Amino acid sequence: MSVPLNDVIFFDSIPIPLPKARIYKRLGYKEGITQLPPDQQGEVEQYIEEGAALISLTGVALRLSVQKREVARIVFSNNVEFNSKHLCAWLERCKEAVFMGATAGQKVIDAIKKDTAEGSLTQGVIYDAVASEVTDAALDWIMEYFNRELRRENKQLDTKRYSAGYGDFSLENQKAIYEMLKLGKLGVNITDKYILVPEKSVTAVSGVQEIVSK
Amino acid sequence: MTKKNKIHKILKRRVLVLDGATGTELYRRGMPAGVCPEKWCLENPGVIQGIHFDYACAGSDVVYTCTFGANEYKLKQYGQTDVYGINKKLAQLARKAAGPKVLVAGDIGPTGHFVHPFGSLSFEDAVKAFKKQVKGLVAGGVDLFVIETMMDIQEARAALIAVKEEVPAAFVMVTMTFESDGRTLGGTDPVSALIILQSLGADMVGCNCSRGPKGMLEIVKIMKPYATVPLVAKPNAGMPKLIKGKTFFDMDSNRFAELIKSFTTYGVAALGGCCGTTPEHIHKLKKAIARKETVLPKRKAISAISSARKSVVFGESFPLIIVGESINPSGKKALAEDLRSKRFSLLRSLAKEQESNGAQALDVNVAASGVNEAQAMERAIEILSQSFSLPLSIDSADTSVIEKALRLYPGRALINSISAEKQKIDKLLPVAAKYGAMFILLPVTDKGVPQTAQERKKIINSMFKEAQKRGFSKDDILVDGLVMTISSNPLAAIETLKTIKWCKRQFRTKTIVGLSNVSFGLPQRKLINSTFLGLTQNAGLTAAIANPLHVSVKKNKLAENLLLGKDKDATKFVTYFSKRKERKVKLPFRAKLSPKQKVHEAILEGNRETIINYIDEALAVGIAPRSLVQETMIAAITQVGDLFDKKQYFLPQLVASAETMKKGFDHLAPRLKEYRKELGKKTLILLATVEGDIHDIGKNIVALMLRNHGFKVIDLGKDVSAKKIIQSIKQYKPALVGLSALMTTTMVNMPEVIKLAKKEGLRCKFIVGGAVLNQHYARSIGADYAKDGVEAVRVAKKLIINK
Repeated sequence: MSVPLNDVIFFDSIPIPLPKARIYKRLGYKEGITQLPPDQQGEVEQYIEEGAALISLTGVALRLSVQKREVARIVFSNNVEFNSKHLCAWLERCKEAVFMGATAGQKVIDAIKKDTAEGSLTQGVIYDAVASEVTDAALDWIMEYFNRELRRENKQLDTKRYSAGYGDFSLENQKAIYEMLKLGKLGVNITDKYILVPEKSVTAVSGVQEIVSK
Repeated sequence: MTKKNKIHKILKRRVLVLDGATGTELYRRGMPAGVCPEKWCLENPGVIQGIHFDYACAGSDVVYTCTFGANEYKLKQYGQTDVYGINKKLAQLARKAAGPKVLVAGDIGPTGHFVHPFGSLSFEDAVKAFKKQVKGLVAGGVDLFVIETMMDIQEARAALIAVKEEVPAAFVMVTMTFESDGRTLGGTDPVSALIILQSLGADMVGCNCSRGPKGMLEIVKIMKPYATVPLVAKPNAGMPKLIKGKTFFDMDSNRFAELIKSFTTYGVAALGGCCGTTPEHIHKLKKAIARKETVLPKRKAISAISSARKSVVFGESFPLIIVGESINPSGKKALAEDLRSKRFSLLRSLAKEQESNGAQALDVNVAASGVNEAQAMERAIEILSQSFSLPLSIDSADTSVIEKALRLYPGRALINSISAEKQKIDKLLPVAAKYGAMFILLPVTDKGVPQTAQERKKIINSMFKEAQKRGFSKDDILVDGLVMTISSNPLAAIETLKTIKWCKRQFRTKTIVGLSNVSFGLPQRKLINSTFLGLTQNAGLTAAIANPLHVSVKKNKLAENLLLGKDKDATKFVTYFSKRKERKVKLPFRAKLSPKQKVHEAILEGNRETIINYIDEALAVGIAPRSLVQETMIAAITQVGDLFDKKQYFLPQLVASAETMKKGFDHLAPRLKEYRKELGKKTLILLATVEGDIHDIGKNIVALMLRNHGFKVIDLGKDVSAKKIIQSIKQYKPALVGLSALMTTTMVNMPEVIKLAKKEGLRCKFIVGGAVLNQHYARSIGADYAKDGVEAVRVAKKLIINK
């Protein structure tokens, strides 16, 4: 097995191409409908590039096996347990799961705040969209990283992810995820209301599926 | 141990058949999950030997040792430390199982870490780790090496250098793994990977894993035109698919073999399988390609440099290449200070500026008084490789700086330069050869700079002969046309042009010049540089080290590429100048607009720079501020809202227009006191993002939109407690309270605020919004709903003004 269980893997730099199509989509751009003159497009592109330059994309992941599973309780190999019917259902056929986290860093958040405060909301809005999409794409990247290794074991990750705050998998669980992923090492903090700071920081879990010989 | 000649002989006749998957086969044959595969194979030698044997019987010419994860970093994860012993024993098992006729490839996989400058593992530590593995594999009797499933080009370089330094004569294949976007997870595209690895000495380059045959063929097609070595491909048995709750590799052996046949047409001379493939797949593959001849690359070298993310090809069919010259502290005090202080912020800015202005590569010179050049060069390479995609030209007079830079640079660099000075040529030619760099051949000897083209030709000829002995071809060099300043020698430019013409027509090699030297000490330098660029390009120049910010250089380059047929369909020329033309057309048109129309258009276009001028223009012709706001500005922003509703505008346009409106509104504010009084307190709106939620960009947009429509907005900020909102309602007595929340976990705090307000007997209305909310939820908590800023204005008007 190439990716061991129970070891937190840190990604100091996640080199993803800028997901421009996703950024435009997030900002409401509709292909063939939205009319964007070259001057305005130039401005949008400039802010996208600027926003991207402010992002320091780092991530972390942890592969765990499922030790115990009940209808609404699941225990992982690091002895962390979660009480959630929805999460148990999500990982129903999985013997393992990968928990992951990523952050865009503080710099871009500071720039968004500064731009918004100084009346450059356009810039702030675009930076915000860039940071959101880039952070999300970082989780895609981490999943690709794992899939590349898992395929050698006849396994792959579920294409979808699940996060604390979805369904009955309450946001309080973010605390346990934060701790087991050692997100503090990436400069991420968690508030007493379980919000990750800097704002563009995310965590998720994806199940490991077995690839069966035909 | 090398079987280099044997392999080359096979490749001349037919396709080399590699083996199929090892990892997935081990699991299929009983290896349990969670174990160290290498250790398990040593404990269960029969299983791994069975796999090797089955592949040999299926027709593989080469089997890979089961040492994919047998480097110190991977083994350490399982508490294993005997790198040498494990590799040696696994190589011996493969050797024994495969038999004497089958070649055994020592398999080297990734460490699991990204290598500096893309990760925390130092380059030398990576090389050291791979060398340990190589030694064990050699002791175990492998015939060749395969570096596979690499996603970080720097790690692939480290592994290749490790093999070459340990076993210089080894035959080495390197395969990268490309994702569905056509790049490795490290962001390297197939052509850049190929250029870097083949120049560094890989005997075959290609791809494995991540894709089935169809997807991999696309990668191979992209690589083929740039290959100087045969290509290799090991696709998966399709891609895993989920069918009825179970996941399968979707391609059986017949379909796999059928699809893989066409690979040979595209220069693939070694074929096998990766994840999901079995001996059956290899057997069918062998049969399918039995009569196929290999199409080996015709070119021996390629005039190309590459970063980890982008390559640049020099050549006649390509437009003139501009190598940005600005990262050079000579005569630039600020850059020298930036390097001395180790800030490197100006270096970043210069790189960005040149990249944005059309440079295709960056020359990097960091030699300055008080600067440790070797350290500064290392840091510069780190920054430029991480944050920029342009390939680098390493510019230094210090040979040791160049050597260190070439070793660490995660690409194929251009050396600027190697002269015929004995110390330089003796030291740098072997270094350039080892790292596969291109170099600028500088026809200067220990006697100095030759003044005439005739003298230069002799030096170029003799230098090239020396380079040939090291394996270089003319495609690996760019001859420096030697631009000297015309203020000290009026014939200098003519001699340069003669040198370039001779290189192009007789010597048949590519050329480069340091353009701005020509005008040194003279006025009108841009004019001279630009005119000289035209002359040099006409003489056949391939590349220029120049400042891309000189617009004249850019325009000149575009025009000349057009005139010399190097700009296909005039695309680049037309695109550049049509954009400029468009801007010019708009202005006279706008001049015909009335002042009110100009204000209207400025808001529509989000033109924050001109709105105040247009408002002043309108006021100057006697238009009343109130009329301007009510009849023009509100109308314009309402139109923007309509366009946004119809999706003809997207969010940045809406916000830019709103900001333009606000700027205009603020400018008019002192003249609008009466108007604002009339709107009175009934227009006061209180906004807050509820407790627990720190996402407030949407609320900020709503605030801006409301203000533009004449509402007075008090924004309480984000993560605001119910208690504080209630206190503020009591204090300000707003007509409407807007609450926002982004998450399902925080939207539950909205009803708490509303309940508390009712309990306190406060009669204000509520409007809620946020990504996870909808009309239904809003109603259920006794509030109105707005999906965005435009709708918030409509709802606010409905609830307050039109009630």
